[in-house]
Amino acid sequence: MHSPELLKGTLQTIILKLLADSGKMYGYEITQRVKELSGGMLTLTEGALYPTLHKLEAEGLLSTEKISMGKRVRKYYLLTPTGTNTAAQKIEDFEAFIATMFKVLQIKPQLG
Amino acid sequence: MILSDEHINYIIKDIAYRGIVDDDLGDELVDHICTLVEAKMEDGQRFIEAYDETIKDFGNDNKLNELQKQTIELSNNNTKIMIRNYFKIAFRNLVKHKFYSAINIAGLAAGVACSLLIYLFVANEMNFDKFHEDGDRIYRIVRTGKFSDNEFRYPVAPAPFANALVNEIPEIETAVRFRFNGTWLVKTPQMNESFKESQVIYTDSTFFDLFSFPLIEGNSKNVLNRPNTVAISRSIAEKYFKGVSPIGKSLLLDGEYNYEVTGVFEDMPANSHLQFNILMSLASTPEAQNEQWLSNNFFTYFKTKEGVNKEALQKKIQLFYENKAEPELIQYVGSTIEEFKANGNSVNMVLQPMEDIYLTSDFIFDIGTMGNEDSVLLFLVIAVFIIGLACINFMNLSTARSANRSKEVGIRKALGSVRSHLIRQFLLESIIISIISIIIGCLAAAVMLPLFNHLADKSLTFPGTPLFYLALLGFALFIGVIAGTYPAFFLSSFRPINTLKGKLSSGAGGSAIRSGLVIFQFLISIILIIGTLAIQKQLDFIQNKKLGFNKNQLVMVNDPYMLGDKRDSFKEEIEKLSSVASCSYSGFIPVNGYNRNDNTYWEKGVSPSQDNTISLQMWQVDEDYVQTFEMELIEGRNFDNTIASDSVGLIFNEEAMRRFGYENIDDKWIQTYAFDQTTRSVINEEFENYKIIGVVKNFHFESMKENIGPVAMRMGRSTGLLSVRLNTEDYQSALQLIESKWNEFANGLPFNYTFLDDQFDNMYKSETKLGELFAIFSGLAIFIGCLGLFALAAFMAEQRIKEIGIRKVLGASVKEIVLMLSKQFTKLVLFAFVIAAPISWWAINTWLDSYVYRITLGFEIFLIAGFSAFLVAWITVGYQSIKAAVSNPVDSLKSE
Repeated sequence: MHSPELLKGTLQTIILKLLADSGKMYGYEITQRVKELSGGMLTLTEGALYPTLHKLEAEGLLSTEKISMGKRVRKYYLLTPTGTNTAAQKIEDFEAFIATMFKVLQIKPQLG
Repeated sequence: MILSDEHINYIIKDIAYRGIVDDDLGDELVDHICTLVEAKMEDGQRFIEAYDETIKDFGNDNKLNELQKQTIELSNNNTKIMIRNYFKIAFRNLVKHKFYSAINIAGLAAGVACSLLIYLFVANEMNFDKFHEDGDRIYRIVRTGKFSDNEFRYPVAPAPFANALVNEIPEIETAVRFRFNGTWLVKTPQMNESFKESQVIYTDSTFFDLFSFPLIEGNSKNVLNRPNTVAISRSIAEKYFKGVSPIGKSLLLDGEYNYEVTGVFEDMPANSHLQFNILMSLASTPEAQNEQWLSNNFFTYFKTKEGVNKEALQKKIQLFYENKAEPELIQYVGSTIEEFKANGNSVNMVLQPMEDIYLTSDFIFDIGTMGNEDSVLLFLVIAVFIIGLACINFMNLSTARSANRSKEVGIRKALGSVRSHLIRQFLLESIIISIISIIIGCLAAAVMLPLFNHLADKSLTFPGTPLFYLALLGFALFIGVIAGTYPAFFLSSFRPINTLKGKLSSGAGGSAIRSGLVIFQFLISIILIIGTLAIQKQLDFIQNKKLGFNKNQLVMVNDPYMLGDKRDSFKEEIEKLSSVASCSYSGFIPVNGYNRNDNTYWEKGVSPSQDNTISLQMWQVDEDYVQTFEMELIEGRNFDNTIASDSVGLIFNEEAMRRFGYENIDDKWIQTYAFDQTTRSVINEEFENYKIIGVVKNFHFESMKENIGPVAMRMGRSTGLLSVRLNTEDYQSALQLIESKWNEFANGLPFNYTFLDDQFDNMYKSETKLGELFAIFSGLAIFIGCLGLFALAAFMAEQRIKEIGIRKVLGASVKEIVLMLSKQFTKLVLFAFVIAAPISWWAINTWLDSYVYRITLGFEIFLIAGFSAFLVAWITVGYQSIKAAVSNPVDSLKSE
């Protein structure tokens, strides 16, 4: 398990990327997806996920869709046009960041 | 595995119980938890175990609340949302307190509407004659001074002045003269019917050089320099020469004079004091060549060269005039200028700047309708007062009401609001109210503009410049900030612990300011009421004062001179009508604006000098004049046209008798210089003698602002008007009879008539207008004041609702409670009255001083004004007090 500290700065990038790939998702789905993709190495806690989702929504990067399921309401998040641009931008930034980190920490990238 | 509704309800309740209040987040969490629980239950756990475990994974209540806090913080940490939130709260507050918001908005909107109208009026008045190029170099000559007992101020100058100025004083570039000669009947030779044109004047050919009135057709160099030529305005051109160029065509004036059109000019703009449709060349009249310096008949304007100092020029012109006039002074009065001055006499040539003419002219006659600087100033003051009242109201209510919000402030602060947030919130609320009010005020002003135009006799429009609306917006912000500042800073300074404990909830501290503001409002209202009453009383006094003649049932038929030789038979025919008591030819009518003819007279036998000459009005009337106007003959007899010597007979008024120092009329003769009738210049060494044959009681022939001056009447041809005394109330049929007679004689000339009492009322038009506007404004001021008082009383009653409940429970009667609540306001109004009375006494007396014949200010005006202010205040407060007093104490006391 990776330390949650490491996750912090990348949370927004992860969420935006996931939404860019799969259109719309709800909170639980996102946590599951992260777990799945990371092979259980990353756990997105609700305490970190929801504030970030709401922040992104308030900033106009995400829009929401509510679907009523009997007693429950499921809230889906999807990217707005600005969100789509930001997602691409963030991923690019992160790639550059990792490249820099490799240099700084003098690690050889293990591809594959 | 899908959860049942029961389970979901359990989760929803539990989540809420654990402190999740944000609905949006709550829904989301419920769904999230449900999904987790479902997953666990699929693994075989029971619901309650699965749920407990899930919550534990979340990190129990603390973590859950942390999540919520972070969500809210992060999603609100965004200025756009913050601002939206301010607006949301502000609108909620407005809607929640509909009553106060409505009163606030209504008061301010009324104030804005009224001030805006006044602003438009004042701006228009101040903007007169500003369009002339080099307008700051154009002056008019005004003659003021004193001769024997007569003080005079006239906007006219001698005929030769203009030319002499241009030729002999190098500072002066051009000059132009005007000579007014009444109305003219105008037609083209091809037309059958004439139209009466009143905006007609003789002027010099320099007119278009001096003023910036654009010429559309014709050459400005020679447009008016030949005799019998005219320049006409665009609208006159369209009226008489539709579709063709009028240049070179001719106009027939008064049926006999043929004038050639040599120029067409653009209609004069509404903000010009010169308003003429037809300019006739002065070269057409021999009077223009008059060379006399003591006879003053010409309005004279001139333009100086650049950089000329006004004071120095005025001194120079004064000296210039004295030099020119001295020979004539020696000839007629027998004294040099120095002797003339040494005897306390004076003649001053004053330069009146073009741009000031409209507002600063208050001469008995003038070249056009003039404004009045004082009333402009007065309206400005009233506008400031009214907007001040409205703002005070606004502030008062905002402060009073904000006290009720101290708990809100406490809670907001406890929840983490900082002071600047609160200040922003309160300021925004008051700015929103002020912007709404100003928008409504503007709309109201736009709706009322036609009515106001009708009242003020203007055609004002809203300016289309964006600057004006920007200024309005700026004003709205300003008012909003001013009104919001006090509550914003005052309230935001509260310590939450105090407000939440209930201290400070009464919002103390503001009450002294509030009382002051209420006093100020009533002060202004009372002053306006007293003003309205006094103006009304003076107007009534004028309308009902004994005039010395009977102004009722008198019809004036205009232009009888057009009948030519048939005049006398026309008069005979009119006299035969059964509804006519008598009629008289004379252009001299005892209301202002008609012919006046001033001249100097002395007792026959003495040699004229400045000590024994008296300036006298000489009216030419016929033998039926005294009878038609129902003047009272107190000595001697009326004219009799069968007595030949009556052609030199005079009827004096009492004032003329007094001036000459006569006790009786036994063989009293007076003398004056003989005049050449065409050039109106004095013939040397030739005199005219008159004998006094009767005296009439003094009668008012000018506005009541003037003293009754000396008047003499003599028999003579003056045919400007036929005055007809009717002996019936049925004016319509009498007028029809007269008109049919006119048509028999006048072959196609229009029949124009006026009633003397209308003319008389016209003389006091500006006073009447002032009275009406004053009444409206004071009504408005009281309305605004009452709105404020009403809301304030409601607020106070609300604040003391528990006290009232306890008092009632302990046995206080409704009456006692009403008295208790009204007492405070009564004190304030009383205080306002005490201050208002002397201020308005002084103001009204200053105004009345301009009248020679005036009312004295009695106590009753003050009593009525004071009482009505009290009455209005009591009704306003009383309604709220009674409402509070009759309410059931159980309702107010049961909570808490």
